[in-house]
Amino acid sequence: MPEAPAVGEVRAAFLAELGQAASPEQIQEVRNRYLGRKRGAVTALLKSVAQAPPEARRDLGQQANALKREIERALVERSGAVAAAPTPAGRQQPGRSARPGDAAGRSEPVDVTLPGRDVRIGNRHPLTVVREEIEAIFTGLGFEIVEGPEVEDDYHNFEALNMPPEHPARDMQDTLYLESPLRTPAGPPGTLLRTHTSGMQIRYMETHEPPVRIIAPGLVYRRDTPDLTHSPMFQQVEGLLVGENVTMADLKGTLESFLRQLFEPDTRVMFRPSFFPYTEPSAEVFISCVFCRDGCAVCKRTGWLEILGSGMVHPAVLEAVGYDPERLTGWAFGVGIDRIAILKYRVEDIRAFYDNDLRLLEQFPL
Amino acid sequence: MRILVSWLRELVPVEASVEELADALTRHGFEVSAIDPAPSVPDRPAAPADAVLDLEITTNRPDCLSMVGIAREVATIYARPLTGPTLAAAVPGEQPLPVTIEDDARGLCPRYAAAVADVTVAASPGWMAARLEAAGVRPINNIVDVTNYAMLELGHPLHAFDLDRLEGGELRVRLARPAETVRTLDGVERALPAGTLVIADAGHAQAVAGVMGGADSEVTGSTKRVALESAWFDPLSVRRTSKRLALSTDASYRFERGADIEAPVRALLRVQALLRDIGAGTPRGAVVDRYPIPRTAAAVTLRHARIRQVLGVDVEAGFVAATLERLGFDADPLPAGDGGSAWRVTVPAHRVDVGREIDLIEEVARHHGYDRLPATFPAAVQPPAPPSGALARRRLLRRVLTASGCSEAITYGFIEEAAAAPFVDGSDDLVRIANPLAETSAVLRPSLIPGLVDALVYNRRREHHDIRLFEIGHRFTAARGETPGFAVALTGASSPEHWSNSTRWGGQAPPIDVFDVTGIVGRVCDALGVAAVFEAPAAPAPGPLVAGRTAVVRAAAPDTATALTLGYAGQLAPGIAAARGLPAGDEAVYVAELDLDLIARAATDRRRMAAAPLPRYPSIVRDLAVAVDAALPAATVRGTIRSAAPEALRQVRQFDRYAGKGVPQGRVSLAFRLTFRAPDRTLTDTEVEQAMRVILARLTAEHDAQLR
Ligand SMILES: [Zn+2]
Repeated sequence: MPEAPAVGEVRAAFLAELGQAASPEQIQEVRNRYLGRKRGAVTALLKSVAQAPPEARRDLGQQANALKREIERALVERSGAVAAAPTPAGRQQPGRSARPGDAAGRSEPVDVTLPGRDVRIGNRHPLTVVREEIEAIFTGLGFEIVEGPEVEDDYHNFEALNMPPEHPARDMQDTLYLESPLRTPAGPPGTLLRTHTSGMQIRYMETHEPPVRIIAPGLVYRRDTPDLTHSPMFQQVEGLLVGENVTMADLKGTLESFLRQLFEPDTRVMFRPSFFPYTEPSAEVFISCVFCRDGCAVCKRTGWLEILGSGMVHPAVLEAVGYDPERLTGWAFGVGIDRIAILKYRVEDIRAFYDNDLRLLEQFPL
Repeated sequence: MRILVSWLRELVPVEASVEELADALTRHGFEVSAIDPAPSVPDRPAAPADAVLDLEITTNRPDCLSMVGIAREVATIYARPLTGPTLAAAVPGEQPLPVTIEDDARGLCPRYAAAVADVTVAASPGWMAARLEAAGVRPINNIVDVTNYAMLELGHPLHAFDLDRLEGGELRVRLARPAETVRTLDGVERALPAGTLVIADAGHAQAVAGVMGGADSEVTGSTKRVALESAWFDPLSVRRTSKRLALSTDASYRFERGADIEAPVRALLRVQALLRDIGAGTPRGAVVDRYPIPRTAAAVTLRHARIRQVLGVDVEAGFVAATLERLGFDADPLPAGDGGSAWRVTVPAHRVDVGREIDLIEEVARHHGYDRLPATFPAAVQPPAPPSGALARRRLLRRVLTASGCSEAITYGFIEEAAAAPFVDGSDDLVRIANPLAETSAVLRPSLIPGLVDALVYNRRREHHDIRLFEIGHRFTAARGETPGFAVALTGASSPEHWSNSTRWGGQAPPIDVFDVTGIVGRVCDALGVAAVFEAPAAPAPGPLVAGRTAVVRAAAPDTATALTLGYAGQLAPGIAAARGLPAGDEAVYVAELDLDLIARAATDRRRMAAAPLPRYPSIVRDLAVAVDAALPAATVRGTIRSAAPEALRQVRQFDRYAGKGVPQGRVSLAFRLTFRAPDRTLTDTEVEQAMRVILARLTAEHDAQLR
């Protein structure tokens, strides 16, 4: 079918006006006159398709759409030519109408070494990066992730963990207390800021039947004066596995696997006797130094770095939650996320994590 | 505990080098934190490779706060005999020192032993002074030094009184009297809290029991006779007293962890032997020993099979028994029962940490060696639970916020009261820390915004111009308790700098405004399945925000008839950022904070959505510009459009707001793009025109709108 007269008229008028347009602003005006949604000539043409006799509708529609594409291409090319023309200052003109990459079909060269447009994406905090990595590893090992309150009561933070009032082991964790108790949704009011997320062991076992396989990540607080390696607030992940036939050898195998996934596949892992009131036997776990092969200042020339505390759940803890320590055994561990982040990313000062300096934050993986 | 290796070798004959010893002790739970050079010890054969091992002793092992305790471990590790220090033979005869334990003090002092000696006070011999110094104890005079030397050897604290300065020449163990004071050896006059256990003479307190002696009966150069005390005090009582007086000593450190109740007489006999050896004194009369209820040794059953059940490794029965015997336990085999072999293990008094089977299994594990435990995997016995809704929501939230260009901050949970105050209704609502490290960390944060503002200011002062931060964390108020929330704080340009940007903002995008922060919050809510609406708050604005530039964020929830107020978004009151150090003349700061518990109530779980079919028929788009009263909220106009329109109206997008030339004073032109589409057919222009007429009529009727 031959071209409809209306289509030809619009094209002719457009080409005449485009030829006159010499600036990006003028090109934009031409664009509005023809493609504008309200009063554009091509827009009107497209709208008229619906009113055309049914037998002509299809062809008219096709022609009108073809014209629209033709006009769009011409506009782009014209604006490209205007932008590429030397300006008085001899530089590329900033401003929206000068965007060189507007549409397909352009062919004029541009300076591709000009910086591209940044897409702004924020960063996760490095401690979150590590925390999510740990969560992913243990999720893969079949652990459930549980969370709890930061304001705890004495029972869950200490007493149920085999640290009765005035137990000397409480000195190991200098505690921040609240001036007056804080109400909690369930259970006794909170009186202190939790010194570890171990209280979640108790909270979980109080409300769940064995077997238990959880990790409990979260913020913890100690009354420690801040320095390079101490922060009065830091993040910890507590792990707990309780069931029948759970052994210390299982603890060793699981933690070795975890640490090799977190650091390097050839990381060596060492267990050493230690003391925690809520585990027995207790073990401190070390990894081969990530900084050196045969001794450096960080590992105090030993080649080993202390990385976490762990042990077999003390029978008194199982008894406190009504589990039968004859039938059930279990193990637990606690690892400081900040410590891991310091070692993984070679950050020298733990306090840097809480300054939230964007120059640091923006270095970490998205 | 500082261990002089040559002294250790006197108690247990081991040939291992200093480094080997340090390594062995570390592997058995006694971490060697440093190996220091040994002092030269006069009058003792020079050890070719001597050193001082600085050991970390865990709180459960007070028995190892002594040379003998460590020697016992070494003897067990190397399977060598242990030689105890030489004791004096007990002197028979009269007990020259009257000792009374008053009735109300008996519970706190189950054993009190004492002895009298005639002494010649002088400096200690060089070897003794050198060994004390190696252990970190300052030599004072031969009498005091002997008591300290015996304490280091045996782990049992001792004290020497100048007997001639004790009123009545007697010792009384009693509770402090009201308002009683004592001047301790460090020269401090101390008020004794009620219930404090003291050692007194006939008149007044002469020592704080188990903590420190008194200056009034201190051994001096003119002392001729001493009363030597070797007692066992209740650990809790000593700990309380030490804490109340803020006074921790070598003695209190040992007593509060648990001393050996069988040791007191042995320790006195050792002191007598040492006094004799260095020519410092001779015993007068027999040892006094008030020990009315002797200890009954605990017996614990240890099952061989249980060791395997806990450790996951077979430890040979002979090794188990031999290890326990060397450590001072008696391990008697029990007749083999159903569960296999077992022992009846009697616990020695120095092992205050051992009371149940697991404590013995720990001993077996330590000496078997943790490095010899196999590495196995626990059997998976049930499928893991899926992640909680809260965790999934937080991960999604973090994804959307980072995708919005915001970086995650983690700020302290405790802040300065002045920074917290604008975020609560009254100071009663703040949660205060009883023992804060500093005034700057005295209250728990009632809001995440103060921490974010500090982080924002920190970065702004380090030449960061465009800052977008968020934090997900807990807030604390007396009224609501601990609640999870998230907050954002923004300042600077609204989008990244680019050379092609308009020159109007100096190459940068225009500054952030309210609509950047409401935009982010809207996107977040949408992602979390919350249909949030932004409303101008009923006056006044939330405390820390600028009135008229702040929206409250509300959403309906299935469990309540009234919409929930999730939080707010808007411009931070400039005074707040300025007070935290934002440079004067900086761009405004925009913030938002929403409650995640409330979001959980209002959210639909979008993971359980069904995909909507794609439209099969074309849509028709119409633009509509109307002039309305400038004070009329745009959301109201959009709401009227929706309610007046047929179902075919799929979308209302506001693309312009204009006041000025062509629009009457006090009015504003709002432009909307309306998209109509029917799911089952192609709409006709006539239908849409009809809908537009109805919409306009309604806008005119309800808002006096005029078509433009
Ligand atoms: Zn190293």
